[in-house]
Amino acid sequence: MTAPLLEAAHITVRFGGVVALRDVSLAQVPRETLGMIGPNGSGKTTFVNVMTGHLRPAHGTISFDGKAMAGRKPFQIAAAGLNRTFQAVRIFQELTVAQNLATALVDAMHPLDPDAMAGAIDWLELGHRMTARAGGLTLYEQRRLELLMRLVQQPRLVMLDEPVGGLSTSEVHAMLGLLAELKSRTTIFIIEHTMKVIREIADRVVVLLAGEKIADGAPTEILRDPRVIEKYLGSFDA
Amino acid sequence: MSVRKNLIPLGVFVALAYGLPLALAGNRYLAFVCGMTLINVLLACGMNLLYGYTGLMPLMFAGIAGISAYVSVRLSEAGLSFWLAMPLGALAASSLGVLLGLPSLRLKGFYFTLCSLVIQSVITLGFIYFSGFTNGDTGIAQIPLPSLPGGISLAGPPYELMLATFASLGIALLIALVGSSFGQRLVAIREDDGLAEALGIDVTRQKLGAFFIGSLFAGLGGAVYAPYLGFVSPRSFDVLVSLNIWLMVAFGGRGTIWGPVVGAALLTPVPFLLQDYYTIKDVVYGLLIIGVIVALPSGLAGALKLSPRPGASKVAMRARPEKAS
Repeated sequence: MTAPLLEAAHITVRFGGVVALRDVSLAQVPRETLGMIGPNGSGKTTFVNVMTGHLRPAHGTISFDGKAMAGRKPFQIAAAGLNRTFQAVRIFQELTVAQNLATALVDAMHPLDPDAMAGAIDWLELGHRMTARAGGLTLYEQRRLELLMRLVQQPRLVMLDEPVGGLSTSEVHAMLGLLAELKSRTTIFIIEHTMKVIREIADRVVVLLAGEKIADGAPTEILRDPRVIEKYLGSFDA
Repeated sequence: MSVRKNLIPLGVFVALAYGLPLALAGNRYLAFVCGMTLINVLLACGMNLLYGYTGLMPLMFAGIAGISAYVSVRLSEAGLSFWLAMPLGALAASSLGVLLGLPSLRLKGFYFTLCSLVIQSVITLGFIYFSGFTNGDTGIAQIPLPSLPGGISLAGPPYELMLATFASLGIALLIALVGSSFGQRLVAIREDDGLAEALGIDVTRQKLGAFFIGSLFAGLGGAVYAPYLGFVSPRSFDVLVSLNIWLMVAFGGRGTIWGPVVGAALLTPVPFLLQDYYTIKDVVYGLLIIGVIVALPSGLAGALKLSPRPGASKVAMRARPEKAS
């Protein structure tokens, strides 16, 4: 059994009287693609916010690469090799693509070497857009830029928050191809809304419902779990 | 942001900064307006680093300049050489500014501005309250001009040449900072501090650094201002002065090297021109501020498209809405 890369234990988060996460524990080993699904408001983004230091949990411990992460700030967690993207695409809109890339490199602990970087730019087909204002790119190009900005930092783990949100059917298909390739470059934690994406790329799936983990297993098992079917899939297009 | 493309404008500026006071040496009044412009260029560079590049609008800027002015004047009186009193005053002011600004550096946009306004008010009250040090509302008059080692007086054109040196060095430092990785981090913070932090940038530390350096500009400006006018009072460093410097940056074009320099050069003479109409002076300034916000949100440089300025189209006063998660 490989030592886990990310280990969250008994994470509880409260917003005032509302419990956003209740006693959620999970572990992810290197190179394992872990998916997280759940209806709106089930606490998926909150979980990522806690893992990346954007939110402090009321209870629980986080360890990344064997080191305790609780209480660390987002920039320290990023420096430790745990990267994230945001649900709504988030890039420096007013800067050019090249400036966005340069900003991702400015405090990168282990930046990609120039050859590998050129390769990554080619792979994500952004070479011809380098001097364009990032805010003027299509959503799919912006999503690719987001990925590029994480990739050049050579993270140990990337947490992707709904990376296909807002994309057209053909773009979703293309993005799935990119994510499948991304799996060979780093470890991925992916939040998704749609079962299709999870089924295609996740090795294991965690299901959240109203802040609680109700299932954890291979995608095929999850699809057959009666609790998941009743609480989530039954009321949802799978 | 290449350093090289700024070399020619910098050369032009240096030539004008040294040449104009010399050319106008026969007319002390016009030479004085030139000198004041050079001080304002220095101040505008510091304000530009904070407002234009970091996205913070520090309304306590004049207060920090004032602390430095009082400290350096009193140190000079105590027998310290002006050349030691000036950097000490500037350092004291920026250190105090950072200490006062610490709680507000966690804020951004409108909330930072509001907090800086409160800090400015406290500093102004302090200038009045600690009258043993500042001589209160009466102010300190008859501040002597410094002299060079060897007893050469700096009275007249030599002082303006010194101001030209400070202004030129100030611009050169700003060019270097903006072209460095530090400048890159500041622009990232201005554009989206949350994203900057997620990319590994220590936002609070970088803001502190920017605040300290920006305050040093303010401090040096305050320290050279006091002997030039020969008089300082709390009104020399009140919030209107902060707004005045801000207006130079916003009017010229924040986030560009040369916009605020042009802004300072165009706006410094305005109060002198309006001297006979002092009752409407404040009205003119008020109208200018409204005009800039409404018509020129990215300043002259933006209106003339002098250079592509990332992010300048946004009005920084606006608080960035937090993303719901």
